[in-house]
Amino acid sequence: MPRLALGEWVDGAVDWLQSHLSWLFDAVSSVVTGMYDGISAALTAPQPLLFAGILAVLAWWLRGLTAGVLAFAGFALVDSIELWNDAMSTLSLVLVATVVTLAIAVPLGIWASRSRAVSAVTKPVLDFMQTMPAMVYLIPGIIFFGVGVVPGIIATIIFALPPGVRMTELGIRQVDGDLVEAAEAFGTSPRNTLTRVQLPLALPTIMAGVNQVIMLGLSMVVIAGMVGGGGLGGAVYRAIGNVDIGLGFEAGVSIVILAMYLDRITGGLGRQVSPLGRRAAAKARAAAGGLRIRHYRPRPVVAVAGVVVLALVAGGLNLFGGAGKSATAAGGDDVGQGRKVTLGYIPWDEGVASTFLWKELLERRGFDVDAQQYEAGALYTGMANGQIDAQTDSWLPTTHATYWKKYGDKLEDLGSWYGPTSLELSVPSYVKGIDSLADLKGRAGQFKGRIVGIEPSAGEMGLLKDKVLKQYGLEGEYKVVDGSTPGMLAELKRAYAKKEPIVTTLWSPHWAYSSYDLKKLEDPKGAWGEGDGVHTLARKGFAQDNPEVTAWLKGFKMTEQQLTGLEAEIQETGKGKEQEAVRAWLDEHPDLAEKWAPAPGGASAASRNADGKDERARPLNVAWFPWEEDIAATYLWKAVLERRGYTMNLQQFEVGPMYAALSRGQIDVQFDGWLPTTQKRYWDAYGDKLNDLGSWYGPTSLEIAVPDYVKGVDSLADLKGKGGQFKGRIVGIEPGTETMNILKKKVLPGYGLDGEYEVVDSSTPGMLAELKRAYAKKEPVAVMLWTPHWAYDQYGLTKLKDPKKTFGGGDRLHTVASEEFPRQYPQLTKWFKDFKLSDKQLAGLENEIQKAGAGHEEEAVKTWMDRNPGITDTLAPL
Amino acid sequence: MSRFPLVRAAEDVSVHHLCERPLHGLPSGATGRHIATREVYVSRLQADGLYKVFGRAPDEAVRRLEAGADRGELRADGTTAAVIDASFTVEPGQIFVVMGLSGSGKSTLLRMLNGLLEPTAGRVLFDGRDLTSLPARDLRRVRATKISMVFQHFALFPHRSVLENAAYGLEVQGVPRAEREQRAAEALELCGLGGWAASWPNELSGGMQQRVGLARALATDADLLLMDESFSALDPLIRRDMQDQLLELQKRLKKTIVFITHDLNEAMRLGDRIAVMRDGRIVQLGSAEDILLRPEGDYVASFIQDVDRSRVLTASAVMTAPDRPDAGQCDCPSVAPDTTVAELCAVSARVPHPVAVRDPEGNVVGTVPQQKLVAFVGGDDEPQGRPAACGDAARPAAVKTASQNTEKEAAHA
Repeated sequence: MPRLALGEWVDGAVDWLQSHLSWLFDAVSSVVTGMYDGISAALTAPQPLLFAGILAVLAWWLRGLTAGVLAFAGFALVDSIELWNDAMSTLSLVLVATVVTLAIAVPLGIWASRSRAVSAVTKPVLDFMQTMPAMVYLIPGIIFFGVGVVPGIIATIIFALPPGVRMTELGIRQVDGDLVEAAEAFGTSPRNTLTRVQLPLALPTIMAGVNQVIMLGLSMVVIAGMVGGGGLGGAVYRAIGNVDIGLGFEAGVSIVILAMYLDRITGGLGRQVSPLGRRAAAKARAAAGGLRIRHYRPRPVVAVAGVVVLALVAGGLNLFGGAGKSATAAGGDDVGQGRKVTLGYIPWDEGVASTFLWKELLERRGFDVDAQQYEAGALYTGMANGQIDAQTDSWLPTTHATYWKKYGDKLEDLGSWYGPTSLELSVPSYVKGIDSLADLKGRAGQFKGRIVGIEPSAGEMGLLKDKVLKQYGLEGEYKVVDGSTPGMLAELKRAYAKKEPIVTTLWSPHWAYSSYDLKKLEDPKGAWGEGDGVHTLARKGFAQDNPEVTAWLKGFKMTEQQLTGLEAEIQETGKGKEQEAVRAWLDEHPDLAEKWAPAPGGASAASRNADGKDERARPLNVAWFPWEEDIAATYLWKAVLERRGYTMNLQQFEVGPMYAALSRGQIDVQFDGWLPTTQKRYWDAYGDKLNDLGSWYGPTSLEIAVPDYVKGVDSLADLKGKGGQFKGRIVGIEPGTETMNILKKKVLPGYGLDGEYEVVDSSTPGMLAELKRAYAKKEPVAVMLWTPHWAYDQYGLTKLKDPKKTFGGGDRLHTVASEEFPRQYPQLTKWFKDFKLSDKQLAGLENEIQKAGAGHEEEAVKTWMDRNPGITDTLAPL
Repeated sequence: MSRFPLVRAAEDVSVHHLCERPLHGLPSGATGRHIATREVYVSRLQADGLYKVFGRAPDEAVRRLEAGADRGELRADGTTAAVIDASFTVEPGQIFVVMGLSGSGKSTLLRMLNGLLEPTAGRVLFDGRDLTSLPARDLRRVRATKISMVFQHFALFPHRSVLENAAYGLEVQGVPRAEREQRAAEALELCGLGGWAASWPNELSGGMQQRVGLARALATDADLLLMDESFSALDPLIRRDMQDQLLELQKRLKKTIVFITHDLNEAMRLGDRIAVMRDGRIVQLGSAEDILLRPEGDYVASFIQDVDRSRVLTASAVMTAPDRPDAGQCDCPSVAPDTTVAELCAVSARVPHPVAVRDPEGNVVGTVPQQKLVAFVGGDDEPQGRPAACGDAARPAAVKTASQNTEKEAAHA
């Protein structure tokens, strides 16, 4: 039987999809993320107990008083075991998945119910979707959408879609054909038949489908937790990784509470929305005697009112809480404190560029900047009146000499930021024989007697008309066409494309010189005068009002390359998006913002990242696996960096997804890179998008260890023939890790053990639990271990020698960061590069954590740090 | 097989030749218009060579049927001819009954009349308008306003109250809520369900549910009522009640009704005209008396054996011309022409000579000799010389043919 390369084909297809449809995936990802964030924000906004109250009122209305009380008790329990936020993010995930699923499933089900062909096509597809193990969807999900909630939600949608479609189709098909015929016989249109007869009657079945969709969604949350979906699933996954029974149970119970609540509520909702169900419920209530209060239900109006009141209270509380927070939100960046600065500009390219550049810079520094376009005359008048604070496009001493003469005493010159400039007439280089202004004489016919000008108010136009044309005797021959700068450029573009002769009024610097091949006409008589500098002007008194801004503007200088680059960026991005272009340009030139508008005081220069922002503003996403040395390093840095004002998000991962997330920048850094051997395949796959910040510990070694009460086994070779003693098992760790691959593919065959021993796939905590159990009973056991590991301190273990070096050379532990990391976190990059732990330090720290137990890592690290004073300054010197 | 010699009028578009054979005993209102000349006249409803074939290549099947192919031949190819060449007219105010056993195509025929099914060939003219050529939208409009329907299993919407059910047709028409509820309430009142508007369909008995169905059909004020075995699912007493009520309503409302039934007694009771269907074809078309007295072919003949003829036939059907000039001169009781034979028997038992039949003006239009009456009730036109008690005379025959009929039905199924 030939091997069909089915997996490879799917691989190929996924690769193709990723490279060709990434825009689609990005769009899906941002829509789903947006929905999730919105719902999550709404759910976590109110006080937990208040929100539990809202949910309880809902249950009361739909199911009765008992249900309401139980719902409140359940959610109060979730809150008390501190899983409230996890529960709410799980609820958000389920809600988003449900909404999207229903938005697809119900119309599809309706369609399938009306067309046999659609039904026949969807049936096998739905079967496939439902029976394919849902975890399989996660693999391409990660590739397409990265880690986080999105692949979890997408996998949930795919998994939960089939019952939604099926139940809708079934519900509609189940509606008595006589009723549909009756509707048709009374002239009902197909659409009304659907909405008035089929859907109302199918509603109970459809609601059962909704219920199933939600339940399947909940069953997926644990799987979503594996790819960083967070929430209760993440908690369960964390618990599995740490063999933390307590956390596992708490998270599990929370899921159960959520599931039961959602199940009962959708059941009750199904009864409320369907007319038949409402009637049946009313009948049952009438029939049931007993305590009236137990059967009392608030009327929908009362229930809605109750929910609204509670929500308002919740919102109100949140408002007060929020107000307290936002007052402290301002950081060292906020120089402006919302002060208003009005910039004016003339629609000349360097004016637009520099004005929007400063608008962006000042806004980053907390100013409220208003940039207005003016005609040159109006601009100077406005500044003289004090209505406009500053402008950056004053051509002095020549071009704007008239304005300066008139208003100079009411203005302040903050100096030239660019120069020298020159004014000139230009012709395209394909116009032969014209190199200087003098050459224009007698050639008016060729140019239709026109010189294409700019705004009539521009100083250059005055110079041209009054001085230049006269000096070269061209004034009768040529007419200067008044227009605008964009008009002139458009005309130039048009003529250039058709290779028509044209004379334009231009100046340097201008991007037109880089876009077109133009000749500046020489001015041997010096009619244009000296070259101007481009000056920044401010109104009188601005310097007193805004000393920082004045200082920044005085120090402002741009090179020709910077200016033309920025102008070209603005030109490409298009009109109305000037500030976006500036931002993009600043991103490409990360140091300039800090250089031009340094924030006084506040964060030290070293902790400013490339965007000129305090790198601490952005939470640091750190991935970790439940391996001891990683827990130690990660929590150590968490403690140190929190003292330095950083916030850190820790996310537990599998190795593969973690590297994928790092390469996409979803994770910033991880400390447990076993390189060059163990994690080689991940480094090979993603290394070009990662930064290795160096090793902090090493060398390590991999080995098989046996307890020292097992006598006569000192090297791997000694294991031969003793399979019976060890029940033929070597207890391994997570399958798929390189360590395990080496063990199975190299070590066992290397010593001829592969027939005799089976490597048991497990997890690190599982392996350690097995070791602990066997050690306590003094049973022989062989486990996969590595150095450094606290187990060597805890138990008497023999590392089996590996004379054939089948495990390969020792790895070192590297800090691996995302591609963008050094740019985003220059200070951290430096600290992480210098990060080193000695054997003693690491073992001590690991031991402390082991002693404190799972869930108490932070306290353990604190204890250890207290015993090692000065560690913070060693690791993160200021 | 003896097909009713109905002449098709396919050449005309919206009028038809009145060239059906003048039918004996046709209600006078309808007969009066039937004159033997060509006339431009529009019936309320006219079916014109209707075919309905289910399965593959229906058009081909119609061609073969027109060429004289048999229904059985087609079935071998997997095509089912449900209705074959059905033509008839229904006049305003008439109750037209289509009678046949199950599988005879009567329900299919009915559904072609309001366009729920599209005929494979032929046309349906409603007030002269060709329904088969109407676009779906206009057809729906016609169904909403002009033609309503009552179903065998009621087909009430379980998620609507009785009032909302009755108002359904009006709701489709877009009548404002207040008006439609008022009209629906009136229709319910008319059907004797005044106090039940707020109830739900599943709270009512079968007969009441069907009254809701009837009210729903009447509420729209449609001209044509299609009733698909509407009383078949009810038990016999209720069925009789409903029949009476329908006749009562019909006297007041004068709707045009096409009524489908498999029960010949019901057909005889209700129908002004009756079409008997068998295997997709109309085998006889005529009044109740026509069918009873002049059954065309063995099929119809065997069919009518179990009918209680004494309750269907009237004095006018059995009377002979006055044999003596002094007939009716005595003070003995006389009868009207529409007296049923059953009642006639009672009279005849008290009268020593033939019973006189008088028209409303009192003129003697005929006499019924006792001998003839006895022969008639006995199921034979010829006197048998066997005197029998009038009321019991029909019974043995009825029992006999009923059992035969059951066998026949079983064979048919």
